[in-house]
Amino acid sequence: MANRADLLPGTLDMLILKTLTRGALHGYGIAQSIKRLSDDVLTVEEGSLYPALQRLLLQSWVKAEWKMTDTNRRARFYTLTAAGRKQLGIEVSQFEQMIAAIGRVMNDAQEA
Amino acid sequence: MTLLNKLLLLFRRRRFDSELEEEMAFHRAQAEKEFVSAGMTAEQASYAAMRQFGNGVRMQERSREVIGFRAESIAQDTRYALRQLWASPAFTLVILLTLALAIGANTAIFSVINGVLLKRLPYEQPERLVRIFLSNSDYPKFPLNPFDFLDFRARNHSFESMAAFSRGDVQLSGSGEPVRLNGFGITSGYFHVLGLHPHLGREFDRAAEIPGNGLQVMISDRLWRTRFGADPNVIGRKITLNMQAFTVVGVMPAGTVHPGNVYHSFPYGEDVDVWWPFSFAGDPNRRGSHFIEGIARLKDNVNLAQAKSEMNAIMMQLGREHPNNDAGWSVIVIPLYNEVVGQRRQMLLVLLGAVMMVLLIACANAANLLLARASSRQREIAVRLAMGAPRTRVVRQLMTESLLISFLGGGLGLATAFSGVKALVALLPSDFPRSQDIHVSAPVLAFTILITVATGILFGLAPAFQAASADPREGLQKGGRTTIGSGRQSRLRDALVVAEVSLACVLLIGAGLMLRSLLNQLRLDPGFQRVHVLTASLSLPRAIYSKDEQIGRFYHQLAVDLNGLPGIESAGVGSDLPWTGYDENAGGFTIEGKKPPAGEDFHARYHMATPGYFSALGIPLVAGRFFTPADRPDATQVIIINRRMAERYWPGENVIGKRMSFADEPKSDKDWITVVGVVGDVKDQPNSLTAEPAFWFPVIQETWTSDMSVVIRARTDPRLLADALRKEVHRLDPALAVADVQLMDQIVDSSVSTPRFAFALVGLFAGLAIVLAGIGTYGVISYSVSQRTPELGIRMALGAVRSDVMGLILSHAGKLAGLGTVLGVMAAFALARLLKSLVFEVSTADPLTFASVAGMVIAVALLAGYIPALRATATDPVNALRNE
Repeated sequence: MANRADLLPGTLDMLILKTLTRGALHGYGIAQSIKRLSDDVLTVEEGSLYPALQRLLLQSWVKAEWKMTDTNRRARFYTLTAAGRKQLGIEVSQFEQMIAAIGRVMNDAQEA
Repeated sequence: MTLLNKLLLLFRRRRFDSELEEEMAFHRAQAEKEFVSAGMTAEQASYAAMRQFGNGVRMQERSREVIGFRAESIAQDTRYALRQLWASPAFTLVILLTLALAIGANTAIFSVINGVLLKRLPYEQPERLVRIFLSNSDYPKFPLNPFDFLDFRARNHSFESMAAFSRGDVQLSGSGEPVRLNGFGITSGYFHVLGLHPHLGREFDRAAEIPGNGLQVMISDRLWRTRFGADPNVIGRKITLNMQAFTVVGVMPAGTVHPGNVYHSFPYGEDVDVWWPFSFAGDPNRRGSHFIEGIARLKDNVNLAQAKSEMNAIMMQLGREHPNNDAGWSVIVIPLYNEVVGQRRQMLLVLLGAVMMVLLIACANAANLLLARASSRQREIAVRLAMGAPRTRVVRQLMTESLLISFLGGGLGLATAFSGVKALVALLPSDFPRSQDIHVSAPVLAFTILITVATGILFGLAPAFQAASADPREGLQKGGRTTIGSGRQSRLRDALVVAEVSLACVLLIGAGLMLRSLLNQLRLDPGFQRVHVLTASLSLPRAIYSKDEQIGRFYHQLAVDLNGLPGIESAGVGSDLPWTGYDENAGGFTIEGKKPPAGEDFHARYHMATPGYFSALGIPLVAGRFFTPADRPDATQVIIINRRMAERYWPGENVIGKRMSFADEPKSDKDWITVVGVVGDVKDQPNSLTAEPAFWFPVIQETWTSDMSVVIRARTDPRLLADALRKEVHRLDPALAVADVQLMDQIVDSSVSTPRFAFALVGLFAGLAIVLAGIGTYGVISYSVSQRTPELGIRMALGAVRSDVMGLILSHAGKLAGLGTVLGVMAAFALARLLKSLVFEVSTADPLTFASVAGMVIAVALLAGYIPALRATATDPVNALRNE
């Protein structure tokens, strides 16, 4: 557990939404995608992923559909909705503001 | 949107679960596949995937929490709590029954408080209504003189309106046997003051107050329905009252409530049937007689003190204008509400306090039982905490359980309250104001819910806090083993028992004081003999019996006839009966050779009686003689006085043969009346401080009233004589109503109904309290015994004998009871002062009551400790140790 990087709180929803901008994915796919894109730095725990997906479904930011995978198994695929796309924009800009703010504090601390 | 989605999911719960499960299974399968392709065996891969995935159930739960409602987990908690309660029925039964009784009793008492004290009086803006009385050093609260009233009404600027009324029952005749109706003479504007309006017709105008205009009447809704068949054209019709034809001018609606009055008192309530116009007859400059009562409505911008000071200024003017009659009086203005509920308020608040204490005891008891159970559930709670249940969740679970218990108890309590209120109203003294307003109504329900929730929280706090601070490791470690309960916890339980015992002590002392007071009133020598005495009242219509001599002759003859009947030991007629609050008073008479004390006049209750009256009532002769047939109208005028009058106005003298006079300036012998007898004292009311000075005229020589009471002392059951009495009355005058036929026993009983009521309730609560405190003590001691079984086993194995063990346990019970009693006695000592106005001839620090209650409480506690102590000594030390 110690070697896994913990996600910044509140960023999981944003990461999921961002991942889904490339197209429909099932839960496992989302987790794998985040892991791969972050070069194994970010690991999404399943215990957080599925509750988060339910949360997004409730807000109607994503849609879910049962489809067949390439290997012919039934899986639930999530797609981004228009509202989800808008929400992503909001979260990204909030996130950038936050990173910028943290950066300023850190730079300042280094200079001092 | 979110809410809508949640709601939709609520109906598709099963599908949600199965989909989630499938989705996770898919996830696990994918992960497994990956591990296999990375070179693991199938078994290793499956294990790794499972480990990576974590606790599936927990994960599903978290997903469910996202879509769930808070209410759902409450429902879950409730189901769980119900299972817990069902699992230990004895515990549940005890706790529910005690709570049901306590909450039921609280609800019942609160419905009385709500109906009598809190509900507004049924008049317009009742808070602006006041009653007006006079007061001086002899008479703290006295009715008004009619002409004084006219001046008050004309001169005041404080009141929007003012009226007066005076009791005057009437006899209704016509079809069927004549009946007596409750009636009041009222001035114009009486109903206007109250803010009540006739349903038909109008109320009396000023012209009706002029003598000669009085033959009009307003009737109650009930009389209108029973006598006139609810005739809408009743206005203008005639009705025969006191043998005279009265014209109906108005009908009052149902719910026209009599505000209560003092002189010839008639309690607050709905039972007045006729109102006739009060007429201001006589000489306006003679203002010595007081028999009407004022009622008025304050102007919006005038307060009570202002009104009072203006009225007193007017009284001062009147005192200067009529120095003989009006000097020395002051005016008192009392809010109508205080007048109606007045002395009952204190008693009801005491009852509320008592019943609240019962609820507190029930709370402490419930808390104790829950604590005991919580410690046996320590392991369960520890397991839940260890498995990752958040503390808040465990606390919420326990609070849900307490609230569930209190709601079940409250529900049962409410059911008890419905019958309890009925029983309570039946038990109320007959003159209790507003008893018809006592119901389990909406405010009462709100109160019940409030105390139910408060109770649940109160007794749930202790176990919940304990759980919140529990250390799961500790709970798991000692789980199965019995050890001495943690010190903090057993201290809390001991403290609860001490509180229960001390509250029970307070209640028992209250009940003891009330019992002593009741016994004092019952043991009181009433001054007459109550058994075998039948009474009734008669009223002669002035239209027929216009001369006093006619009235005197009628009653004298009736007494003679009754004495001739078989089965009668003695019969008589008198102006009144003992203990009925008779309040006629004569002042300003002359006593030969005496001067009244400065600033005062000679005064005494005046009565009339026939020769048999005193012996029929069993009032003893102290000196001289009773009246005899020889005291004829043409013989020397004679009078009988009571002992109090003799001692007050002829201290240390032999009064027989002394003379007094009612003439303004007695000259000839004919003006003087001779005292021929002294009789024993009878108080106005059983709890009056002293008897008033009083005298009796022989009915045949002097009669001031047409209303009299008949008294018959029977050889056997007096009820058998009621018909004979009616027959004799109707032989003399078939048009007379024989009213209020009752036994002297009933009159005496109803005169102690208030102390009896108060004692019955406080006694009931105290009984409940001591039982609860006993259960509480038993619970704590037997719990501590079960916890200490191994310790006791070791002690016995090491040579302690049974009496040592017994002593050890009883001393625990004794300590708790002792401390509780000391605290209880101290609290009772402080609180008993509130009972001062409610008890009769008992000190509120009565040592007998305090001592016997203390003894009783300690005895009960020791008994409650004895049963578990017995069990402890009966255990085999080997078994006790082996169980370890």
